[in-house]
Amino acid sequence: MKRRQAYISILLLSAAMAASCGKNFLEEEPSTAVSVNGAILTEGDMMEALAGTYRIMNGYFLYGRNALLWGDLLADNVYTSSSNSGRLLPWNSYMYVAGNAEATQLWGQHYYAILQANRILAVNLPETATTGQLKGEAYALRAFLYLNLVNWYAKPHTVNPAADGVPLVTVPTSIGGAFIKPARGTVAQVYDQIISDLDKAFDLMPATTPAIHAGNTNFLSKYAVKALQARAYLYKGDYENARDAALLVVQNGGYTLASTAAAFTSYWASNAARTDKLETIFELNNSAAANNGVEGLDYMYSRTGLGDMLVTDDTYALYTATDRRRDLIFDGTRGGQQVYYVNKYQNTGVADRDEIKLLRYAEVLLTLAESYARLEDETNALIYLNMVAQNRDPQLVAYAFTGPALVDAIIRERRKELAFEGLRFFDLARTNVDFTRQNMGAKAYSSYVDVKTTDFRRILPIPEVELSANPSIVPNPGY
Amino acid sequence: MNYIEKGANVLFRANTYRLRLPVLSGMVALCTAMISPGARGATAAIPASHQTTAPLLSVGGTVTDSTGAPMPGVVVRVAGTSQAMVTDDKGRFQFSNVQEGAVLVFRMIGYVTQEVKVTGSQVNITLQRDVHTLGEVVVSDGYRTTTVAANTSSISSVGAEVMENKPFTTFAQTLQGHIAGLTAPLTSGQPGAAVDIRIRGLGSLSLSSNPLIVIDGMIVNADKLGYNMTTANALAGLNQNDIESIDVLKDAAATALYGSRGSTGVIIITTKRGKAGKTQIRVDAEAGVSGQMDPPDAGMPLNAAQYAEMFREALVNGGYTPAQVNTLAESYGLNSGKSNDWYSLVTRTGKQQQYNVSLNGGTEKTKFFGSAGYFDQDATTIGSDFKRISGLLNVDHHINQRMQLSVGVNASNVGQNTPYSAQFSGNPTWAARVLRPFQLAYNEDGAINTSKTGDTNFPGIYNPLWIAKYDNKYMSQTRMLGNVKLKWNIWDKLTYTAYFSADYNTIEETTFLNATMGDGVSLKGRSRNYYTRYFNWLTRNQLDYRYDFKGVDNFYATAAVGYEAQKSKEYLLAADGGGFPSAHTSLTALSNAATPLGAYGQYSNYAFVSLYATAGVNYRNKYAINGSFRRDGSSRFASNNRYASFYAIGGTWNVHQEDFFRHQHVLSSLKLRSSYGTTGNASLGNYAWVPQAGYSTAYSYAGYNGQQYYSIGNIDLRWETARKFDAGADIGFAGDRFMLTVDYYHNNIDGLIRSVPTSLTTGFTAVSQNVGAMVNKGWEFTLKGDVLRIKDFTWNSNFNLAMNRNRMTSLPEGTGVQNGNFYLKEGHSFYTFYMKEFAGVDPQNGAPLYYTDGTHAAATDKIADAKYVVLDRESVPRYTGGFNNVFSYKGLSLGVDFAYNLDYWVLANADLYLTSGTYYTHNKYRYIYENRWTTPGQVTDVPKFSTQTDNSVSTYRLYKGDHIRMKNVTLGYNFRNIGLLKKWGVSRLNVYGRATNLLTFTFDKRLPFDPEVTYSGADNQDMLQYKTFTVGINVAL
Repeated sequence: MKRRQAYISILLLSAAMAASCGKNFLEEEPSTAVSVNGAILTEGDMMEALAGTYRIMNGYFLYGRNALLWGDLLADNVYTSSSNSGRLLPWNSYMYVAGNAEATQLWGQHYYAILQANRILAVNLPETATTGQLKGEAYALRAFLYLNLVNWYAKPHTVNPAADGVPLVTVPTSIGGAFIKPARGTVAQVYDQIISDLDKAFDLMPATTPAIHAGNTNFLSKYAVKALQARAYLYKGDYENARDAALLVVQNGGYTLASTAAAFTSYWASNAARTDKLETIFELNNSAAANNGVEGLDYMYSRTGLGDMLVTDDTYALYTATDRRRDLIFDGTRGGQQVYYVNKYQNTGVADRDEIKLLRYAEVLLTLAESYARLEDETNALIYLNMVAQNRDPQLVAYAFTGPALVDAIIRERRKELAFEGLRFFDLARTNVDFTRQNMGAKAYSSYVDVKTTDFRRILPIPEVELSANPSIVPNPGY
Repeated sequence: MNYIEKGANVLFRANTYRLRLPVLSGMVALCTAMISPGARGATAAIPASHQTTAPLLSVGGTVTDSTGAPMPGVVVRVAGTSQAMVTDDKGRFQFSNVQEGAVLVFRMIGYVTQEVKVTGSQVNITLQRDVHTLGEVVVSDGYRTTTVAANTSSISSVGAEVMENKPFTTFAQTLQGHIAGLTAPLTSGQPGAAVDIRIRGLGSLSLSSNPLIVIDGMIVNADKLGYNMTTANALAGLNQNDIESIDVLKDAAATALYGSRGSTGVIIITTKRGKAGKTQIRVDAEAGVSGQMDPPDAGMPLNAAQYAEMFREALVNGGYTPAQVNTLAESYGLNSGKSNDWYSLVTRTGKQQQYNVSLNGGTEKTKFFGSAGYFDQDATTIGSDFKRISGLLNVDHHINQRMQLSVGVNASNVGQNTPYSAQFSGNPTWAARVLRPFQLAYNEDGAINTSKTGDTNFPGIYNPLWIAKYDNKYMSQTRMLGNVKLKWNIWDKLTYTAYFSADYNTIEETTFLNATMGDGVSLKGRSRNYYTRYFNWLTRNQLDYRYDFKGVDNFYATAAVGYEAQKSKEYLLAADGGGFPSAHTSLTALSNAATPLGAYGQYSNYAFVSLYATAGVNYRNKYAINGSFRRDGSSRFASNNRYASFYAIGGTWNVHQEDFFRHQHVLSSLKLRSSYGTTGNASLGNYAWVPQAGYSTAYSYAGYNGQQYYSIGNIDLRWETARKFDAGADIGFAGDRFMLTVDYYHNNIDGLIRSVPTSLTTGFTAVSQNVGAMVNKGWEFTLKGDVLRIKDFTWNSNFNLAMNRNRMTSLPEGTGVQNGNFYLKEGHSFYTFYMKEFAGVDPQNGAPLYYTDGTHAAATDKIADAKYVVLDRESVPRYTGGFNNVFSYKGLSLGVDFAYNLDYWVLANADLYLTSGTYYTHNKYRYIYENRWTTPGQVTDVPKFSTQTDNSVSTYRLYKGDHIRMKNVTLGYNFRNIGLLKKWGVSRLNVYGRATNLLTFTFDKRLPFDPEVTYSGADNQDMLQYKTFTVGINVAL
C-alpha cells in the first residue's frame, strides 16, 4: 500500500515537472529585437538593416550635424557667434582634447555605422538585382564612412600615404568578437579598401534601382558610387582615376545643374528627396517623423533655429552680387550686430526638415575640372570649371586661368559651391596649406586665426576611451 | 487516539502551522503537544497512569493570557490519563470526572506550559509567553520548516504586532531598526515611495542589491515596476495589517534554496490565516495628521531680509559697483517690500487615515481569514498623496484527514500622485530650497503667478504652486496575488505539496504637463500614458519525507525534493500626445491631444526552472545538520550558461541539551550554528545577454523600417555568485529572560558583472562581463528580553546592532580609481569617498583652503594644487540597528522605537546652488548665512560669500550623516474586565495614540538636510519625510 502511494507520488511529481516545462520554457526572445545572427534572412531584412545604417549616418554626431559642421567650422567658412547656445564651443576655439565627447562620438558612431554595413555584407543571400543593389549600397556606405574617418583622424594621403590611418574593421562584431583590438592601417591601406569597396559597389548595383526602395536621392545609386569614388581618388591625389570616375558620372549619370535662377532657388528651398537628377546625387533623409530637431545641422545654421554658427565676412565676400549662391547667405543681425547667416537650410520652420546633401553634381564637375587641371589638360579643366561658375553667375566672364592659378580657382570655386556642406576642411587638408580663420572680433565667441600645416589639431584626437580599451592603437601626436 | 498517533509522525505539521500563529486547531495543537520536543523544564514525560481511589471532581475554568484576554485553543490534559480537551473561544474548559489531586497540564505553543494540581472545581490560570521556545518554535525559509532546535540558518523575524496599524505605506518602512543587518532608508517623503533594502550590505555593483521578496510562497516582482513615476513601490498595495510575519533570510543555509536569486537575501512575507473557533471580528481605525520633517536648522532657507543681505554681499564681494548692485537689487525685487516664504508655501499639514476590518474563524475542517483595508494619506508636500484599498482572503480546508487545500487571494489598488523629484524645475521641495523669497507666488489679484519674464517671476524654475495644481503625475496600480496549495500526506512519512501562484499587476500611469507653465509649454500641453502589466506565475511541486529512528526521541532525518517553474510576462503600452484644449483645463486625458507624439508596445519576459533538494538530520535536538541543493535555469542567460547549481550546508549544536551545561548557572541556553554555501544574483535585464538587432522609430529611415545591431550582449554572461559563511550563537541568560543572538558572516561575491570598455571599432562602447569580486563581512547582535518585571510593570526591549564592511577584492584591469566621488580600488569599500579635502577658511581673507594632500601638512587656496585623497569615510553606515521597547503597566502600554545609522557621510548633489555665492540668485542654507566669513581675523568654516567663489567638489560638501531617529512612540490602553464590554461581546478594546519620526538626533552642526539618503550618500532633493500623529482604536468582537 505504502509503496504504491510512493510510486503514485513520484509519478505525480514527474508529471507535474513535465507539464510545466517544455523544452522551450527558458527560451525568451525580446519583442523588439532578434538575435543578431538571425537578423538578416531575407531581402526585406537586408533593406531594413540598410535603412538602419542610413539613419545612424543622419545622427547629429555624424552627418546630421557635427561631421559636416566641422568641415566648415574648423576651416575658414564659419565661426561661432558670441551669442550662442553653448554647443560645440571647443571646436570654434581649436581646443578639443582626447577626452572630447563629440570627437569620441564621431569615432564611435562611424564604427557603429560600419558595423551595420559589415553585417549586411556578411550575409549570404542569393545574388539578385535587389541584393546587388543593397550590398552595393552597404559597400558604398562603408567606403563613405572610411573616407571620412581617415580624413578626420589621419594625415592626408597627399601628404603621407604611409602615415597611420584608422583601424580597418570589415567583419561584424557578431563574427569578429567583442574584444578585437585592431591596430591602425596605413592611410594607403584605408584608401585601398575604400576604392575596392566602391568598385564592388559599382559592379554589384544594377543600372536601374530595383523596387526594394525608392529610386530617389535618399539612397546611393550606381552613379552616386562613382561620384563618391571620384572624391576618394581626388583626396588620394590619384587624378587620372578621379578624372575617369567623374567623367563616367558626367557622361552616364544623367545629372544636370539648375538651369535658371528660379530653378536654383526652388532647388534650395526644397525639403524633399529628388528623382529628377537635378543637382543632388545623394542626400540623407530628414522627415517630419525622423529628424534631429534642435540638434540638426539645419537648426544650428538657420536664423530661425539656433543660428549659432555664422558665415565669415571673407566667405561672403567671395561671391559677386550676381552670384546666385550669395542668396544662400542671409544678411541679418544677431545681438544687435550685423552678421551673415547660412541660408542653405531653409526648412527649420516646418516639420519635414531639409535633407542633408552629401553628394552633388557640381562637386563632380569641379572634381573633373581639378583632375584635368592637375593632369595639365587645361582646356577641359576650364570647360568644367566654367560650367559650374557660369551656371551660378550668368554674368560671369568665363575663367581663363592657367597653371597653379587654375587649380587655385577650382579650389576657390569648390569653396563657393560647397560652402556649409562640410567639405572645405578636407580641401585645405589635402592641399596641405596654411590657412586663416577670419577673426570676427566681438561677433565671435572666440577666435583661433592661423592654422599652420604643422598644427596638430588638423587631425582629430583618437578618443581616450579607444586608447585605453585598445592598446594596439597609436594616439595622434599632440593630444 | 489513533489519529493523534499517526499525526505524531506527520512531517508536514511544521510546514503547515507556524508557531507564531498563536492558535492552531485543537486537534493539531494536541498532536503538536504530543510530538513536540519538550522545552526544557516543561513536562516532557507524562507520568505513567496510576491507580487511585481519590474522589472524582468536575473541574472547569478559564485560561487567559497575560493581558487578561481569553485564550482559545489551549490544550488541557489530565496528566496520566487520556482525558484532554481544547479551550473554547472564551478560553473555557470543563472536565467531568477528574480525580482530586490529579495534575492538569496546560499547553499552548509559544507559552510556558503550566501544571496545576486539582484541588477544587475551579481552575483559572494565566499562561505566560514563553521567551525560550527553542524546541517548539518553528522557523521557515519558504521551502522547509524546522524547529528552532534543528535550525541551522540565520533568520530574523518580526511578527504582526510590529506590523499592524503603522501609518506607513510599505512594510519596509516598518522594518527599519527591527532586524539586525537589514537597512531600508526612505529617501523620499512620497507615500508609496520605493525603498531600497539591503541585507548584509551591498550585494552587487551593477545588478540589483535588493532582496528577493516572497509573499505566501510566491516570488513576486518587486521594486519600481512602472515607467513614469519618479518613485513608486510595487509592494505598496500590501496592507501591513494583513501580515502575520516577516522573516528575513540572511545566510547561505537560509538563502541557498533560492539559488540564483538568493545572494542579496530573501524576505519572506506570510499573511494572516484563519483560526478555528468562533468567528472573530476585528476593527482597527486610525486617523491623524502629519507634518513635514524640517531639515536641520542649518539647512532651512533664508527669509527675505537675510536673502537680500546675502544677495548684495555676494555682488559687492564679487567686485560689482554699488550702482550695479542697486540695479540688480531693484530688478530682483529686493526693494519691493513684497516677498513670500516658499518653504511654507510648498508644505502643508498632511492628513491620514486607515481602516481595517477582518473576519477570522471557521471549524477544524475549514478556516478562513478575510480582511478589507483602506489607507489614505495626503502628504506634507503639495501635489502628493496616496490611497490604497486592499482585501485578503485566506482559506484552509481539510479535504480529509490526509489532504489539505489552502487558497489565498490578495487584491489591492493603489492610487498615487507623485510630484517631480530631484533637482528638477517642477520639484516643489527643490523649488522651496532655491526660489528667492522675492519671487512672488501670487499676483496682486490672488491668482497664481505664471509669468516667465522678470526676475521677480519665474524665468527659470517653475512656480511649484502652478505645477502642483495643473500638472498631474498619477499612478494607479492594481495587484491580484492568488495562490493555491494542496498538501497530501501520502503516508505518514511522505507528503506531497503542489503549489501554484499567480501575481497579476497592472500599473496605469498618466502624466499631464500643462500648457501655461512647465515642460508642457512648447507642445501646448502634453500627456503621456503608460500601461504596464505584469503576469507572473509560479508552480512548485515538492515531496517531503521524514524518517524517525526508532527508540530515540527526536532523532530523525528529513529530506525533500522539489521542482519549481516560474514565468513573468511584462507588457507595456505607451502613448504620448501634445496640443491640449486652451481653456478647458480639466481635459487632460490623452484623447484630447491634437498631435500624436509616439506610441510604444512591447513585451519583456523571464523564466526560471529549478530543481531542488534538502536533507537534514536532527539528533535528539542536540545536533542537527542540514544541506540544500538547487539547480536553476534562467532565460536571462545564454543557453551555454543557462544552468547553475547552488548549495549550502549548515550545522547546529544545542549545547544546553548536554548534561555538562547544567553544571553552570551563567547561561540558561546556548545554541551554536554555522553554515556555508553559495547563492546567486540573476537580477540583470531580461535580454541583457542577447546580441540584439532590433527595430525602433529611432532606426527608421525615409519611411522605411530600420534595423540596427544595437546591443552587443554577451553569451558568456553568468550569474554573480556569493559564497557565504555564517557562524552564530543564540545565548540565553536568566532562564532565557534575555536572549542574545550573535552572528559573524563573511560573504565572498564574485563574478560581479561590470561594464568593461571595449574598442569602439566594434561599434560598441562596453561589454557586460563577470569580472569583479568583493567581500562583505560583519557582525550582528540582537539582545532582547524582559528588562524589568516588577509586579504589573514590565519593560520588554530589543536592541540590535549590525556592522558591515565591504571590500573590493578584484576589479577588471585598467579600471580607473575615480568612480564619481568614490575611490574604486581593491582593498577599499565600494563607497569610499575620494575627493580633495577642505581645510577651512583663511581668517585673513575668507578664501577657502584645501589640504595639499592626505597628510594635512600644508594647505593651499588653489584647489588645483590639492590632491585627491582616499578618505576614511564611506557613504554607507558602518553601524546600523534599532532599539525597540514596550513598557506596560496593567492595561497601559508604551512603545518607543529608535533606529540608528552611525559612522557614514553624505554628499549633497545640489549643494553648490545652496552654498555658493556664484549662485546668488538661489536661496541659501541658514548655516551659510550665519557662519560666512565677513571680517579679517574671523575663524569660521564658511568662505567669504562672493560671486567669485571656487565651486570645486571637496569635503566642504560632505556631511556626517550619523543619526538616531525616534521612529515610533505609541501610548495605548487596553480596556479589560469591563463588564459592559463583555456584555456587548467585545473581547478586546484598545485605544492608542502614536507619533512617528518625532525626534532625530544628528551629529554634524553643518548638516543641512535629512541624512536618510541613498546608499551612495547623495541627497537628491527629494520630498521631505514626515512626522505623523495619529490616534487609533482596535476592537475585537
